[in-house]
Amino acid sequence: MASENDDMGLEMSSITMLNKYSNISESDPFFSSGWDPIVSQSESLGGSSMASHYHLVMENQGISGTSHVSQYQSNPSFVELVPKLTGFDGGNLSQIPGPFSLPQCNQIANSNERGSKNSLRSLDEHRISETLVGTSPNGKIRKRSPESDSPLRSCKNGDEEPGMDLSSEGCDGPREQAGKKPKTEQNSGANSRGKQAAKQDKDSSQSGEAPKENYIHVRARRGQATNSHSLAERLRREKISERMRLLQELVPGCNKITGKAVMLDEIINYVQSLQQQVEFLSMKLATVNPELNLDLDRILSKDILHPQSAAVLGFGPGTNPSGSHTFSPSTFTGTISGFPNTNPGFPPLPQTVLENEVQNLFQMGFYPGSTMDGFGLDGIH
Amino acid sequence: MNKYNPPRMNPSSLRSRFATRFLRSLSKINAKKPTASSSSPTEIFRRYRRIKVAADKSMAYSVRSRRTWSRAMLWKLRTRPCCRRSVKTSTIVRKTRHEKQNKNTTTTTGEDGVVFGVEADELRELVPGGEAMDLYNLLDETAHYIKCLTTQVQVMKKIADFYSP
Repeated sequence: MASENDDMGLEMSSITMLNKYSNISESDPFFSSGWDPIVSQSESLGGSSMASHYHLVMENQGISGTSHVSQYQSNPSFVELVPKLTGFDGGNLSQIPGPFSLPQCNQIANSNERGSKNSLRSLDEHRISETLVGTSPNGKIRKRSPESDSPLRSCKNGDEEPGMDLSSEGCDGPREQAGKKPKTEQNSGANSRGKQAAKQDKDSSQSGEAPKENYIHVRARRGQATNSHSLAERLRREKISERMRLLQELVPGCNKITGKAVMLDEIINYVQSLQQQVEFLSMKLATVNPELNLDLDRILSKDILHPQSAAVLGFGPGTNPSGSHTFSPSTFTGTISGFPNTNPGFPPLPQTVLENEVQNLFQMGFYPGSTMDGFGLDGIH
Repeated sequence: MNKYNPPRMNPSSLRSRFATRFLRSLSKINAKKPTASSSSPTEIFRRYRRIKVAADKSMAYSVRSRRTWSRAMLWKLRTRPCCRRSVKTSTIVRKTRHEKQNKNTTTTTGEDGVVFGVEADELRELVPGGEAMDLYNLLDETAHYIKCLTTQVQVMKKIADFYSP
């Protein structure tokens, strides 16, 4: 029997076992007939742990026929429960050079061994799917009801087997997006979610166990739609809300606002006010400019050409960088206004000089005056 | 806000880039007609328009083409005064408008779409180039646009204060 199980005959044995398993009311036959091949294997592994699994499984199943169904309904991926009868601890499977990642089963099973139903349910999908081939008719019946609760998880469980009808039951969408990580990771992930009761943690932990292909790991929380479209929508909405939070920081006075519509209105108002401010300031510059235009050039050029004269004015950006911040805009402009009277004869300098001077100028002008604006955006550069 | 600031401004910051360009164009504008009747309202208005365009252009050039809104603004500024020049630009304008109309049907699906329907359109009108973006990119562009607008306002405020004692 063990040899059979070592080969593809495992499926056959699992079929037999699970067919017997479907006769739930009889717990004895499990041990007597259907469980023999596996029992033998497990015992070969030092199956104390196996025995514990057996007991646990038997507890699950020994209650009653209906209660089994109810229990499995509580375990959304009933599929996982069924093969637990057969693939225990992964120890059996380690002996079976099947197409499954048995070492993972080992680790996972060992890690989950100590738990109760949770651990049983959280066995690796490989084992589950292995033994499910033959049990699909039975598994399907039980699985449908729990599957409606968690299509995501059950679909992932059934995904590996090509012949599994379970996988085709509308689980294609979430399956694609489900994370295909090893069980241990998902256990931690499920625990980190910690959204709801332990039961629901189990549910979420069962999802996406088998490491298949590399998809974006999107965990469907309980109670949420697991359609692929809705998952993408949810991602998009989260991105949008993140952007809204960023905008909230940019727009002053929006910390208390919670609500996207109100926030958007605030943003719109703010952008409009900024644009109006730009227009107003440009109008102001249009009216003010022509009078002092030449003076500005002269002043700026003067600063570059004649640092001493700038020092005379108390304005020496190049020579006294430390003192630049001591100037206030009012004193600065005062000196500027007084300047043309003392130095009328300077021709305007080329633009390059102006540019250099602009930077110096605005070092002066910005920093003392930066406190004027309440925005404090100096650090945004 | 710290009272002490480093004496040297970051020469490659958005603010310095914008300030440089804007002052350059300002001096150009002011140097154009020094002797004309600069106090007449029409002249002032004309100068105001030029200064506004200069401000927008300087800001868009400071951002280069890194952002959708800056590209859209530059494109708008280039084609705006040229509408009387040639037919070529008008055809180009029509083509892009057609493209934009095709993209305009970006709907924000999901429950957010219902909420954002009206406001998103308003925001699209405000932010240059926002018509052809979905909501997420629109919010992204809005954030950068707000940052650049505030820089613009600060620089222009300083200049205006500098000019008028």
